[in-house]
Amino acid sequence: MDKEIYHHAKAKLQDYAPLVGRSTIEALNALAGRLSGKVVQNINSTYTGGGVAEILTRMVPLLNQLGVDARWTTIKGDDRFFGVTKKFHNALHGKAEHVSPEDFSIFLEVSRKNLEELKFNGDIIFVHDPQPVVLISKKQEIGERWVWRCHIDVSNPDEKVWEFLKSYVVDYDATVFSAPNFARKLPNRQFLIHPSIDPLSDKNKDLSPEVIDSVLHKYGLDKEKPMIVQVSRFDYLKDPIGVIEAFEMVRKNIPCQLVLAGGTATDDPESDKVLQEVNDRASSNPDIHVLLIPPESDIEINALQRAASVIMQKSIKEGFGLTVTEGLWKGKPVVASAVGGIQLQIKNKFTGLLCHSIEGAAFAIRLLLSNPEYAQWLGKNGLEHVRQNFLITRHLKDYLMLFVSLYYPQDVIHL
Amino acid sequence: MSNAVAGWISTNWLVIAVPLIVFLAFIVVSIWARRRLYAYLEKVFGQKKWEGSDIFLDITKTSFFQWCLILGAYAAIQISQLSLHFKSLFGRLFGSIFIVSLAWTIISLIERLLRLYLKRIKALPATTMKVIINGVKIAFVVASILIVLDIWGMPTTPLMLLLTIGILAAFFAYRDEILNIFAGIEIARSNLAKTGDYVRLESGEEGYISKITRNNIQIKAADEKIFLIPNSKFVRMTVIISEKPLKQASQPFRFYTQLHLKELTGLKAGSLSELVSILQDVDDSVVYYHTHNFIEEHQYLTPQPANDFALWVSDALGDEVLGEKLANIDTFEFTTIGALRERLVDVINEELANRPDRRTAPQGREFHFIRSLSAIIPTSHVAHDLREFVEVLRMVSIDTLYFHIFEARLRLHKGVNDISIWLNDCLDEKELADQIAVLDPYTYTLEGLRSMIIQLIEKHLERERPVG
Repeated sequence: MDKEIYHHAKAKLQDYAPLVGRSTIEALNALAGRLSGKVVQNINSTYTGGGVAEILTRMVPLLNQLGVDARWTTIKGDDRFFGVTKKFHNALHGKAEHVSPEDFSIFLEVSRKNLEELKFNGDIIFVHDPQPVVLISKKQEIGERWVWRCHIDVSNPDEKVWEFLKSYVVDYDATVFSAPNFARKLPNRQFLIHPSIDPLSDKNKDLSPEVIDSVLHKYGLDKEKPMIVQVSRFDYLKDPIGVIEAFEMVRKNIPCQLVLAGGTATDDPESDKVLQEVNDRASSNPDIHVLLIPPESDIEINALQRAASVIMQKSIKEGFGLTVTEGLWKGKPVVASAVGGIQLQIKNKFTGLLCHSIEGAAFAIRLLLSNPEYAQWLGKNGLEHVRQNFLITRHLKDYLMLFVSLYYPQDVIHL
Repeated sequence: MSNAVAGWISTNWLVIAVPLIVFLAFIVVSIWARRRLYAYLEKVFGQKKWEGSDIFLDITKTSFFQWCLILGAYAAIQISQLSLHFKSLFGRLFGSIFIVSLAWTIISLIERLLRLYLKRIKALPATTMKVIINGVKIAFVVASILIVLDIWGMPTTPLMLLLTIGILAAFFAYRDEILNIFAGIEIARSNLAKTGDYVRLESGEEGYISKITRNNIQIKAADEKIFLIPNSKFVRMTVIISEKPLKQASQPFRFYTQLHLKELTGLKAGSLSELVSILQDVDDSVVYYHTHNFIEEHQYLTPQPANDFALWVSDALGDEVLGEKLANIDTFEFTTIGALRERLVDVINEELANRPDRRTAPQGREFHFIRSLSAIIPTSHVAHDLREFVEVLRMVSIDTLYFHIFEARLRLHKGVNDISIWLNDCLDEKELADQIAVLDPYTYTLEGLRSMIIQLIEKHLERERPVG
């Protein structure tokens, strides 16, 4: 339970210098120097699986490399506890869930046990997501600075669950949300820290033309024909049928092919049904390729995005939309719905094209395929936008700023 | 015994006396000749004012007398009645002594004269001077050894051949070093460059010459990196040198950088009246964020998007007319955030006064008020003059430029950017300070702005000259 990770064999901070500039790394070092002697203890529910563990796996070693004593601790819980937290998760996302008084009791009981057993050793206790939220009860006893990092969209939550969690959240010194509209009105300080991608990960690193060609060959794709690619799990909210309809409108006049690549979610029974519908709809058109990509196929996803002429994300609802970030990072023009966090990434006609309908998506694709120079300009802007705002180095900077700001209440801090 | 000696002398006194008289005559003549010759030389050197005269007279005066003695002894031996074998033997001996003395004198003379003349080439490294002097010394020593060997009838041709091969081998082995030494002499003699000069090479590297050695020129760049350029390469390059010392600032310019974090206020607006109502009350950091956030987030775009209020009104409320009016507010006109806020509020209120507030943003597209939190951190970069300033400005991050231009002017309430303040107050460069102060930074990308400022300063410097 109190396993602490100090070192993790991942990318070295200096490896990012060619991508973001040496001065960015120098600034991170300068900022980290102000946290000398402070211990940052990250607490979440698991070391593996899920977005939070993935972020911490990369972030903690980088903080250590900067000289910040960042540690990572997980809480313990049985299946009943995680069953309840799964319900909480869905309820906070606005999905109808029946959360009984017994569920709350289980949650509190396990949290109390964690409070007793967990070793708190941070000057800054950085709690991630709802599972360990109750640990704030320890604040009275041990003091220190407490931050609650909410990685999920709580803009439209089940009020009963939110009010229950809120009674703990308000005791934190600060809270962190991923997008302005994910946040709730709270009495404590709230910070905005967007998610990020790691440019050195398999999903985002540079690939040789040979690797890209081999992936295209594997899936029987024609590298000479313009390719429209949407990468997302097979889910109604990602509107794969809408993407096919938009493609068919474009295909009437412009020869091109569509690739719908993704997996099915094990915890979503609808997923297989959606895949079936998509396959049925696509079967009559040889230019539509539906690829069921197994998990851990990051290089293949990367190759498909790099081979694309246009990247799509025609979601009906979206959290932050990291697939859009990944697409932009490949320097490709992106057409995406104006929903959720996508709007933070795509400034319409500057870093990509936003659409509100199938027709709008078709028009945008046609525009890009017919005007390669414009498409290239958008792609270049998108890439720079991600470099500036959505890489892990910016995420790291935001975390360091967050930790520093806990000791400085003013807006302008002279360090 | 004494009778035998006296007898030998009485019969052979002429055999001894004649060579002795000749030798003594040489001494007397030598003393007289040396006096006349050196009196004449002193007169000539005095007229010519040759700086090397003292050295020449000092070194050769004693040697001249020695040479006369050797010549006298040689003549005495030659007219003596010694056998031919002994005459030849003494002839070779005196010849050898003469060559050694002559070589020693020439070496001493050349060493002191070279020191006198090479010292005047200030940029010539001490090691190069040592190499030249030692080279000359070795050449004369070798030459004198060869002559002495020749006097004694020893074969010198194989030795000379060997020596030539050795010299050629050494030349090929050390050809780069030799070329660098000669190029170094040329650099120093022609005064092409000297320590402290600011140079820009055709390959792009630039910085101050921190050291000139016999092999290379060390150039210290603004980021403290040292480039080593071989002398032979340097003389063949096109190099821009700023040779005139630049005016030093009374206070150096310390470069800072800044980092931002976004703090949510929890306030959001769905309509114009909500927007204006909240805008009137939020603190300056919020107004600053929404009028400057695009500069950093979209610093690569030309033209950059307008302020967040204009974008939201156009995109979320669909009010293109008001969006244009808000976009047209020139942030550069304002020296305080309060005045900028007033203008924004006035423009929205004017519009609201003329028509009802019916438009609302779609759900999820409300305007979220965000506060900008800044941390200001000093960097290791400092500039003491304009040249140094330009070089550091080329390499600092855009966050640093942003801080000194935007943050300092409006957020730190200075009213003018940091660069203009420094130019005016610490370098007394009022004209240049004004030129940069009137640049509207909101119409450039940060990289474009950096280039523009560098261009203005470089133009002002006008001290570059191409050489090489």
